[in-house]
Amino acid sequence: MAVTAKAGSEKSEWKKRYEPNDTGLRFQDLKYTGNFTDLEPVPDGILGDRMMKARMRSKVIEKVTKQDVLKGEFTVDELNDLNDYLAWNIWDVLVMRATEGVSGMIPRQEYEMLSFMQEFYRYPEFMRRITDEVGAQGVMDIGASARREIGTKVNCVHDWCLGAVAFAMGRCGLLALEVIKPDDYVEESNTILKFMQRVLWGKRQDGWILNSQDRYRCTIHEKDFLESLVTHCENFEPGSEKHDKFVAFNAAAELLAFFDHYDCRLGLGDTGPYQMPDGRILIVRDLFVNEDIYHWSDVCEGLPHCFTMLVLVDPELMGLKEIRVNDISTSFTIPKNYIEAITGGAVLVREQHDTPMGEVYAVGINDIAKHLEKIQQATFNMYKKTAKMSRHELCLNGIYSYYIEMILPHMRKAGMYDYFNKEHDFWEIDQRVANYYYEINKRNFAQATVPLKVFSGAGYLPFSKKADLRQSKYFWS
Amino acid sequence: MTVIAEGYNTFNTNKKPSGTVKYLASPQDVIKLIQGGKLKEHILLVRGGTTTFLAPALSMGAIGVITMSGAPESHLGILTREFQIPCVMTVNLNDSKSKYVPGETPDSHFQEIIQTLEGKKVTLDCSDHDKGRISA
Repeated sequence: MAVTAKAGSEKSEWKKRYEPNDTGLRFQDLKYTGNFTDLEPVPDGILGDRMMKARMRSKVIEKVTKQDVLKGEFTVDELNDLNDYLAWNIWDVLVMRATEGVSGMIPRQEYEMLSFMQEFYRYPEFMRRITDEVGAQGVMDIGASARREIGTKVNCVHDWCLGAVAFAMGRCGLLALEVIKPDDYVEESNTILKFMQRVLWGKRQDGWILNSQDRYRCTIHEKDFLESLVTHCENFEPGSEKHDKFVAFNAAAELLAFFDHYDCRLGLGDTGPYQMPDGRILIVRDLFVNEDIYHWSDVCEGLPHCFTMLVLVDPELMGLKEIRVNDISTSFTIPKNYIEAITGGAVLVREQHDTPMGEVYAVGINDIAKHLEKIQQATFNMYKKTAKMSRHELCLNGIYSYYIEMILPHMRKAGMYDYFNKEHDFWEIDQRVANYYYEINKRNFAQATVPLKVFSGAGYLPFSKKADLRQSKYFWS
Repeated sequence: MTVIAEGYNTFNTNKKPSGTVKYLASPQDVIKLIQGGKLKEHILLVRGGTTTFLAPALSMGAIGVITMSGAPESHLGILTREFQIPCVMTVNLNDSKSKYVPGETPDSHFQEIIQTLEGKKVTLDCSDHDKGRISA
């Protein structure tokens, strides 16, 4: 049973966010310009999405049909619309990250930049071959597999990264470094974005591809599947021993999930918010605490691939005004603190990435202590191990955590991971990118120049009117 | 108590932790603090906003965090919320003209904050939606 609101707490109004004319709340004061220097700046959130949609030249950011998605390629206008919308969407979810600075541990700005470029150069080859093997429908089916699974990395952050990182940020970085021109790699850009569109459309099945297009909802699980999950939930009072155990476990597992993925959000995957019959909200959160494809994950031995947290939040208890499950799989609310309004939940375990759903099992909240201990130990061991690594090694591992990881789930679902390893040197770093390692530290390029271009939207140059859809790289002196 | 510095608040909470500010410059400092057994006596001051640097301290019960860069949407912001550890990010000193600007901030800005806050007994106030305040 849901806990009722405390006397004096503000009334929730979160459902208003889904009314057609509602423009949402602002989560930040900053505004976006991007390629629209002669137009009014755009804010974040529902209003920002609406303004961006109004500026599109094609219908590609509107709801699209299956037939649209099965088409072989985008027009140049559609490519530019996707470029512009993704640039705003990246700003919307990441702009505050631009203030992040150095971590003192992992050279994240450096490895991120190198990863983006590596992905732009190499993903088209993999995406084309996957599509050759399973067909356009097969790519959509990879996305659709997430509808009846938890603990799967075919999720909003991974799928979003295929386009937003590999295409948008990768191309942006290469343009900033002046190693490509705006009309280079049109064909490859098309391949990347079409693959992204198919996976995301297949996952959502409602015509949208991004959560931001749907008022930040990612309610992808089918009704009967979700109902079967919820039977595992236990209810508790905020501040009770069970609440504290649940919250502490969630936090510790989330920390290790970030760490195992080199301080990247790929370790976390939220879907929701699902409206429960009793008025509460459910967030389904995958925490990938052991990705054993990475050599540094040896410290996570004994832990499963994924803990899935079912988190039940009472919106009345916190006076919820808006909830966003954004395109990088993270939930944000106004008010910000939803932890104190968690009144129920469950912990489910998926031992391996390919464990059948029928073998996923629940752990009672009173029995999670032994897992928590393992998580804390693994976190400390990971820390000691990471602290001993050289900068170059940290950068290389960081590149793996982005470049390998973002497309890994899709390769696995296509049954082609081993093939790409054997036949296409999947784990090799492109020589151009290897050389950029020595370039990106000059003139504060990785630490300041590119992050500002990526986060401000200033670097996402459009394809010109002369661009040819068949155009790949040409001579560059 | 006077408010001496302000920054972004990662989540709103009525917890008001107090402790002596401890600046952590390297992973070795973090390990030493954990092994010294006095983690809960300190408000932790760090330069960057990413979470791995503070991982063992978060996991083992830090009471409060101040950063000199970063924002609530960062991993550290999210993690301090999940751990319910009050955290003020991208802090600026109220009596200083120096303010943090990404990519343009000289080292002297960080040194001024470290020298002003380290060793000082402070209290964090994170009850506001946006602003976190540091009093001494």
